[in-house]
Amino acid sequence: MTTAIRLLVLLSGVLFLVTGLRWLVAPAGVAPDFGLVLGSGIGLSSQIGDMSAFFLTLALCILMGLTTRRSIWYYPAITLLSLTAIGRILAWLLHDAALAMNLIAPEVLVALLLFFATRYLPDRA
Amino acid sequence: MGKFLTFLMSVAGCTVLCSVATGSESTDGHLNLLNLREGDDRPNIVLILADDLGFSDIAPYGSEINTPSLSALAEAGVSFTNYHTAANCAPARAMLLTGVDAHLAGVPNIPEMLAPEQRYDAHYQGVLGSNVVTVATLLEEAGYHTYMAGKWHLGSGPGLLPSQRGFERTVALADSGADNWEQRPYIPLYDKANWYADGEPYQLPGDFYSSRFLVDKTVDFIDSNLHDDAPFFAYLPFQAVHIPVQAPQEFIDSYRGIYDVGWNAVREKRRTQAIALGIIPADVGMVGMATTGDWHALDAERQRYEAKRMAVYAGMVEAMDHHIGRLMAFLKSRDQFENTLFIFTSDNGAEGAGPADPDNPIMQRQLSTLNYKSDYDTLGLKGSYNTISPSFASAAVSPLAYYKFYAGEGGMRVPLIVAGASLPRQGVLSDAFSFVTDITPTILSLAGVEPPQGRHGGKPVETVIGRDLSPVIRGDAERIYGEHDAVGYELAGNAALFRGDYKIVYNRGPLGDDRWRLFNIKTDPGETNDLSNDLPEQLQNMLAAYERYVVDNHVLPMPVGYDHIKQLAINMMRKQLTEPLLIAILTLLILLPFYVAYRMKPRQ
Repeated sequence: MTTAIRLLVLLSGVLFLVTGLRWLVAPAGVAPDFGLVLGSGIGLSSQIGDMSAFFLTLALCILMGLTTRRSIWYYPAITLLSLTAIGRILAWLLHDAALAMNLIAPEVLVALLLFFATRYLPDRA
Repeated sequence: MGKFLTFLMSVAGCTVLCSVATGSESTDGHLNLLNLREGDDRPNIVLILADDLGFSDIAPYGSEINTPSLSALAEAGVSFTNYHTAANCAPARAMLLTGVDAHLAGVPNIPEMLAPEQRYDAHYQGVLGSNVVTVATLLEEAGYHTYMAGKWHLGSGPGLLPSQRGFERTVALADSGADNWEQRPYIPLYDKANWYADGEPYQLPGDFYSSRFLVDKTVDFIDSNLHDDAPFFAYLPFQAVHIPVQAPQEFIDSYRGIYDVGWNAVREKRRTQAIALGIIPADVGMVGMATTGDWHALDAERQRYEAKRMAVYAGMVEAMDHHIGRLMAFLKSRDQFENTLFIFTSDNGAEGAGPADPDNPIMQRQLSTLNYKSDYDTLGLKGSYNTISPSFASAAVSPLAYYKFYAGEGGMRVPLIVAGASLPRQGVLSDAFSFVTDITPTILSLAGVEPPQGRHGGKPVETVIGRDLSPVIRGDAERIYGEHDAVGYELAGNAALFRGDYKIVYNRGPLGDDRWRLFNIKTDPGETNDLSNDLPEQLQNMLAAYERYVVDNHVLPMPVGYDHIKQLAINMMRKQLTEPLLIAILTLLILLPFYVAYRMKPRQ
């Protein structure tokens, strides 16, 4: 059971890592996945800087959690993912944005997975 | 007032007075009122460039394709029947806009086909160098409004977009080509179709069709400044008829059944018509290209499909002509037509790289990657990817040999029409040899602007090597180049040298035979009769002249085994794989220390 949870957590961490690196190395290819059109100037700088930082922070927290076996590392990732999902729903309710279920669902699922990890993966003494 | 002043000064022959008043005088002695903005009577100039249009693809050059606007232009000026350009896109555009050899202008080949070994040379970057000045820059400095709407393909980095090369208003495609119906790339080399407007990334409108859109933008640009009386230079490089070959249904429908006779019949029919029009000598021969298939060996279904491919091509040519007609009508409605000179030509001969068999797996995989269809019913419409086969490409350049990329006449000889109501000669043909580098000096001459003499803007620049075609246009001369004037050419190892009526030509494999041949292209434009054994001295003299051209223009030897199609594929693959590989390597490098730390921790 714990091995399965660890593998799923590792998979999510690697996916976030790749997404963060794609934002740094090839933003034109990844931007459409988030419904974004790449801007220019400061706009492009913000898109690449903010998005890569978001995903690389997620990835590094998850990998630190797995490596150190300290569940406290999962909480920043859970917070980021949960607030992102809430933000998307508020954007739909308040600002006529699309209800992006294809993005909200993975965010909620991974947040739940990490929450389970804090409960079921034993912390190192 | 301005015209009256010009008239008075011309009649009186007050050269000194004029020089004081205007500060300049053109080389042919005609007065230039360069600084007189009010009542400026210098001509407007519209430079129209078709993309991959073959020698006999328009009606005044023998085509069955209906091109009434271009026929009207041919009736209103001089049609050059012995005009040559580079056999590939960007080098031709570099020479067209600068009058400088493509090697010295930094564009000896399109960047997509450059070999890695050549990229170390400063002249082989595939983008327009800062050592050349465009005709637009010179005209803008002389008080012209300068506009561009269409394909640029001479670089998109800092200082390279047309908005930084003399064009006041632009909407430009930076890539080698793109879809004609929407903003999407046509080969996997590009992540997207890179359009720019006035130097900024640009999103195409939803109702885009390339030829209509580009003429609409040109009309908008011209209309926006008509009030200030300054002349304009409008550069209109169409996407038509570059791959993907696409056209509106109503234009395709006009050619239903026309090409059921097959490519050989079309090639022969165009030859006959070109002879009747006086475009080529009556006894011109034709060679059969190795890539031309046997029409009668195809089954009926395949013949039907091939005919549709060509019908879409013809529809795309006619659509371009239709929109050129709209531009002409607009200029008439604004009372500008009489004072506008038109130059129409193509960047190179017809494209022969379309697959002979459209069902081949490589082609189908590329279409699948790009999410394109190629079914019969929707061929050429939005979401459909079309080409013509090498066999119909041979018909498009009839009666010439080879096609785009090769140094045969089919790759290099294209239509050139210089037209305008104010020209002294109307509806005439000229078989004077002319080259793509001649266009810039000709435009400058028509506008009364001097080309740069080695320096511009305080820095050294390449000297224009092209020649002014105005004497031929006016009827003052039969030819511009003398019997001993040599014009050299090289592109990816395919090479030629023109001198007098003769041409030596070297075509590399796989289609060429990797040997120099000698032809008299005035009597034998079909390049059927190799004279290298009959005139060995002529061949040797021209080879020596070519060697001088190689040295003078820093032409690099081709890497061993270079093949332009393979190099394009390698460059595409490299572009496609570089980013995923880099991401994979970075991912592994980041994961590695975590893995090591994980393994080193004591387990509970």
